Amino acid sequence: MILKKLLRKWATLFSILALFTNILALLMVFFYAPTEVQMGEVQKIFYYHVPCAIASYFMVFISFVFSIAFLVKKDEKYDIWAYAGAEVGLVFILCVLVSGPIWGKAAWGKWWVWEPRLTTFLIIFLIYFSYILVRIFGKQDTKTLKVASVFSIIGFLDVPLVNRAVYWWGSIVHPKSVSLEPQMKLTFFVSLLSVIILSLSFLFWRVSVDERVIDND
Amino acid sequence: MNFLKVIFFVFIKDIKDELRRKENILSSLFFQLLSLVLIHFAVDMTSIDLSKEGAGLMWLIIIFAGTIFMQNIFRKEEENGVFLALLLAPVDRAAIYLAKFFVSFIFLTILEVFLFFLSFFFFGAAVFDSPLQLLILAIGVNVGFSALGTLISSLLINQKGSSILYPLLLYPLLFPLFAAAAALTQSTLKSSLAFSDPWLRLIILFDIIFLAVSSMLFESAVEE
Repeated sequence: MILKKLLRKWATLFSILALFTNILALLMVFFYAPTEVQMGEVQKIFYYHVPCAIASYFMVFISFVFSIAFLVKKDEKYDIWAYAGAEVGLVFILCVLVSGPIWGKAAWGKWWVWEPRLTTFLIIFLIYFSYILVRIFGKQDTKTLKVASVFSIIGFLDVPLVNRAVYWWGSIVHPKSVSLEPQMKLTFFVSLLSVIILSLSFLFWRVSVDERVIDND
Repeated sequence: MNFLKVIFFVFIKDIKDELRRKENILSSLFFQLLSLVLIHFAVDMTSIDLSKEGAGLMWLIIIFAGTIFMQNIFRKEEENGVFLALLLAPVDRAAIYLAKFFVSFIFLTILEVFLFFLSFFFFGAAVFDSPLQLLILAIGVNVGFSALGTLISSLLINQKGSSILYPLLLYPLLFPLFAAAAALTQSTLKSSLAFSDPWLRLIILFDIIFLAVSSMLFESAVEE
């Protein structure tokens, strides 16, 4: 049994933490981290673009783990977490797909370049959007939950293969490893922390508003 | 009943049924012919170059035709209520899945052979330059395609909007397999198929992962 009151406490705590860490991260992005010489101000998208990508992987991993738990234990509480993980993951995948083209327009003069990492995220977006479609189209019965869980598992297992295929197919525009100035590195890690905390607060809020969560007031 | 025997009996039952009804395989074969004619008018194509974009075009047709076939693989059991009887039988459900997988595999191979002949006949595609390599590649692709196609089909039994959902669920997952098939078809015409080729390794990995995972997940997918 998931308790709504407890969840809301955690969600509020993480929201407050997310607020402070994000204010700190934004201050560091704009006033502490040096501006990159070649790209200028647009490079600062990096401090949110990459953490959003990492947060989305984290969320779909949560969905994967809880989907397995649901199929094994046959307890709906695991499905609530799996669904929330996929939905929040999809939000962060969308953030990557929005911030990527903004970067692309500044760096390469085009909104969309079939660049491996961005293309990978487009396909991951398609996979998890399909997952959401199953939930929307399906009846709210155990069968639909099973379909969604199985799809979440195979969808997650497909991600590394999609990643490899996209790399071999297209040219690599992103640098393989980025060397950052110490100030940039610190700013990046603060941004990463702030986005991860934000994703967790979204996750707790999303689980708490699920109609299957019991109110213990 | 012995695991292999179950696979064999369900497989034979399905093959006989498919050959008797013919609606699934005939509509898929006809779709391939239709696609080739449409392609000719859509892109004003008189020849298909398999060493270039022609390879991708061929695999695209195979994926669409395979979808028509595989999304109906559980349809007859669903319509007649036989599926429930099949599940009630005291047999390993993974065996039922594998039997369906083999049926999909066999019919996908038939679809591909037919498409290769058609594309050679209409567009002079160089399918007979390295037929054995192309066949090995087709078998590799069919394993992964059938594994996922059969599992998704089983997931959508008695599901609302299953015919819409089927391609929406299947295609994003098939992306690595499709990319590998198109890339390898292009390269097999220039050089021989080598195990060291990363695309071939990707196909093998895809096949192993999804055949194993699908066999395991089938029971959960069909459980009432």
